[in-house]
Amino acid sequence: MELLILLTVLLTVIAVAKVLRAKELVDSFKDPESDPISPAEIKTNAFGMLVWGISFLALVVWMLVEWNKYLLPTSASAHGQDTDMLMNVTWYLIFAVFFLTHIFLFWFSFKYRHDASRKAFWFPHDNRLEMLWTIVPASVLILLITYGMSTWHDVMNQDEAEDAVRLEIVSEQFRWTARYAGDDKVLGEASFALYGKNSVGVATKVAMENRIVECEKTIENLIKDSLATAALVEEEWNKGEKLSDIKQSLRNYRANINRINRLLADYEVDATKYTAGADDLVINSDSIYLPKGRQVIMQFRSKDVIHSAYLPHFRVQMNTVPGMKTSFSFTPIYTNEEMHNATDEEGKFFTGYILLCNKICGTSHYNMKLNVRVVEPDVYDKWIAGQTKFAEAYK
Amino acid sequence: MASGHEHHETFISKYIFSMDHKMIAKQFLITAIIMAVVGMMMSLFFRLQLAWPGEKFAILNFFLGDKWAPEGILDANMYMSLVTIHGTILVFFVLTGGLSGTFSNLLIPYQIGARDMASGFLNMLSFWLFLVSAIIMLSSVFVETGAASGGWTVYPPLSALPQAMPGSGLGMTLWLVSMTVFIAASLLGSLNYIVTILNLRTKGMTMTRMPLTIWTFLITAIIGVLSFPVLVSAALLLLFDRSLGTSFYLDSIYIGGQPLEQTGGSPILYEHLFWFLGHPEVYIILLPALGLISEVISTNSRKPIFGYRAMIISVCAIAFLSFIVWGHHMFMTGMSPFLGTVFTFTTLLIAIPSAVKVFNYLATIWKGNLRLTPGMLFALGMVSLFISGGLTGLILGDSALDINVHDTYFVVAHFHIVMGASAIFGMFAGVYHWFPRMYGRMMVSKLGYLHFWVTLIGVYGVFFPMHFVGLAGVPRRYYSNLEFEMFDEVQFINPIITIFAIFAAFGQVVFIFNFFYSIYKGRKSGQNPWKSNTLEWTAPVERIHGNWPGALPIVHRWPYDYSKPDYEDDYVPQTVPLKDGEEDGH
Repeated sequence: MELLILLTVLLTVIAVAKVLRAKELVDSFKDPESDPISPAEIKTNAFGMLVWGISFLALVVWMLVEWNKYLLPTSASAHGQDTDMLMNVTWYLIFAVFFLTHIFLFWFSFKYRHDASRKAFWFPHDNRLEMLWTIVPASVLILLITYGMSTWHDVMNQDEAEDAVRLEIVSEQFRWTARYAGDDKVLGEASFALYGKNSVGVATKVAMENRIVECEKTIENLIKDSLATAALVEEEWNKGEKLSDIKQSLRNYRANINRINRLLADYEVDATKYTAGADDLVINSDSIYLPKGRQVIMQFRSKDVIHSAYLPHFRVQMNTVPGMKTSFSFTPIYTNEEMHNATDEEGKFFTGYILLCNKICGTSHYNMKLNVRVVEPDVYDKWIAGQTKFAEAYK
Repeated sequence: MASGHEHHETFISKYIFSMDHKMIAKQFLITAIIMAVVGMMMSLFFRLQLAWPGEKFAILNFFLGDKWAPEGILDANMYMSLVTIHGTILVFFVLTGGLSGTFSNLLIPYQIGARDMASGFLNMLSFWLFLVSAIIMLSSVFVETGAASGGWTVYPPLSALPQAMPGSGLGMTLWLVSMTVFIAASLLGSLNYIVTILNLRTKGMTMTRMPLTIWTFLITAIIGVLSFPVLVSAALLLLFDRSLGTSFYLDSIYIGGQPLEQTGGSPILYEHLFWFLGHPEVYIILLPALGLISEVISTNSRKPIFGYRAMIISVCAIAFLSFIVWGHHMFMTGMSPFLGTVFTFTTLLIAIPSAVKVFNYLATIWKGNLRLTPGMLFALGMVSLFISGGLTGLILGDSALDINVHDTYFVVAHFHIVMGASAIFGMFAGVYHWFPRMYGRMMVSKLGYLHFWVTLIGVYGVFFPMHFVGLAGVPRRYYSNLEFEMFDEVQFINPIITIFAIFAAFGQVVFIFNFFYSIYKGRKSGQNPWKSNTLEWTAPVERIHGNWPGALPIVHRWPYDYSKPDYEDDYVPQTVPLKDGEEDGH
């Protein structure tokens, strides 16, 4: 078998070499000033353009019809209905221009193929025509821009509803943690200085004090480590590297203790900020619940690198940026079951709502998900009542 | 340099440390071809993984070894590195360095009637810095922890912290060093182009008699000079954060189980600095390609380019707007919604000059006399790709729509068509068209046609279906799409894409063979094989030092007098004096 392949390859190479040699011989008789391409070649290519043009546009139409079912199903959020509408309007515009220009392009390429017996039409410019195709696109675009800007404005500047659900999504390599506001409907302060056992860094007085103890213990251990490294590791380069790592860690933790002390000082000034977190609900699970028909004000933070929270079914996306709070508000309009029915009717696929990471964040970027379940408000109320308050969970 | 006399050259001064613009152009082109092959191979490797995740491929093990492809299964970190380096190579080394480096160098002195670039030495330096940066970039693939792997945009903190992922170690440092050297090369080149175009035009070559190629090279160089330095500052600040303990981009970070000492910066600052270059960069790539096809389309349509002045104004408008749209890459960073509105407005405005350009190309071929040479086919292909890719920009540039397609495969499809494939098509058009000018021989036209059709079908086969993957919500830069049940439905599209990618790659083998074969064995070309008007075709085929023997040509007319009434030939070179009472062109 392998011999056969080798033989075929060898013969092909020889054949190609012979053809090329023949071509070189023919070339050597040709006048360099003669036309480098022949009328027959031009004709073949012109027909190629026509055939390609027709089959390409036909395939595009086929795909638009047949593959439509693979696109995301109808929007599961209120604002998503508006952006989908904008999307459809834009698509109609795009396809009008796409087909029009491509038909011209392929047809002209075929129709006006070279013919030595005629001369091209002298047509260097035409002010009216140029005005026309500047002003028409400009006017259409101004309409589209205005429509787009007003939609964007409505999506990003939603009024906060009285009964809105406030929650926070905290990202880290490679997981999401959710925190819901407690009975006070306020998310308490959080600080990265407090991450540790306190997974989203809720800033209560207890959390600060505990974290100082934690950090001090770590510092003690680091000092022990450095002594052991100094005594035991023999290679100088290795020892140096390890010691400098430990030194950096010591600096990190000492800086952190200062940070917490500043938080504690701030607590003395204004304690109310730091008590709101006590009744927050930190969800250590791979699923969260959202009530149907109530506004959800989702706030985002990140512990390490930039991630992006993407909820494709709700037409929601927002980056999570370390050192910054970002947010997005939306109102789910279908429960999971209703969404299943709606997508069945559409002939599309639905396998449950998800929140996934959409900004490259490291090795396991491709596997960072949080399941979202939209349920009737009473089911949601029951679920949220079953969660543990931060002050109780963290002691 | 001032005259055309022969002078003694050694092998080294002629082929290696050459200061001749024609030789430097070829050096850029061949380096770019090598880089493009590497970049293309990388894309095939990660396409294999995407199409058949977890499948064993002996070829991956052969190229990447046991560490990065154990038993032929691509490692997740290597996947990220390949994606990153593929993007970096294609964007910077092929489509920026390769495209401008080749054609600005070749065509500027030839088409404006100059002996050489304003500074031959800086020009040489520009190529050698480019080569050094390319070598550093390639060498970064071989370091222990792997090459940079945060995507070609290398956003911190991911790229700033070695503990965040293996590729953010030494590989990332080399990436930054390479980019800094690359930018130095690019700036030297750009300054040279600007000075040459403004000062060394031959007698009669007024600004409005310059071919559109030269106009686009000039505008491109100006964009480069204004935007690349901002990327240097972004890269240097990132280097400081990585190596000197500063925190320009770092704030409130808890990684590897430790709170970082460095706080007070902002990762968003990096994104602003990066995209302040990053968006103009798109036009640094596109404009020269559009300039090349303007020339190729007009020559081969035997018809003046339609709306010469409108074309120049469009290019200037695109260049100006390109500086005030960078925020559309950052709609989802949590920046003020009002800013989002502003950037949507400016971004969608770019569609106007772009539409004008497309309509002008269509008007140019209308009632033309089209000679469908390989160069012309690629030029028409670029117009098609520019339309297809440009239109989806209306979705991505609209902030309200960007919410749901941001960072999905829809974006990947969009920019690969509009600035990747379309610029590559422009580059191919240029190579086929000016190959006789570079080597005094013709490329084999039949292989050129084969190359064109395979590439056109391959490119659309790869990127058209990709829109659907994106609209199904699949994010880019995922090592595997199998972790989410909702993407199972579209997974069947991935093998289709990969098969077309392999198909297209075979087309490029035909090109590479044709290119190197024709350098030595191609049919000898005439002095003006395409019967073109521009000055480069008045120079002797032998490509002498100083370009023209004796005096420089004198220009009497604009470059697009094709099929002009009252002339028997269907072309009138720029050196032919105007008849009594004849008006100049447009």
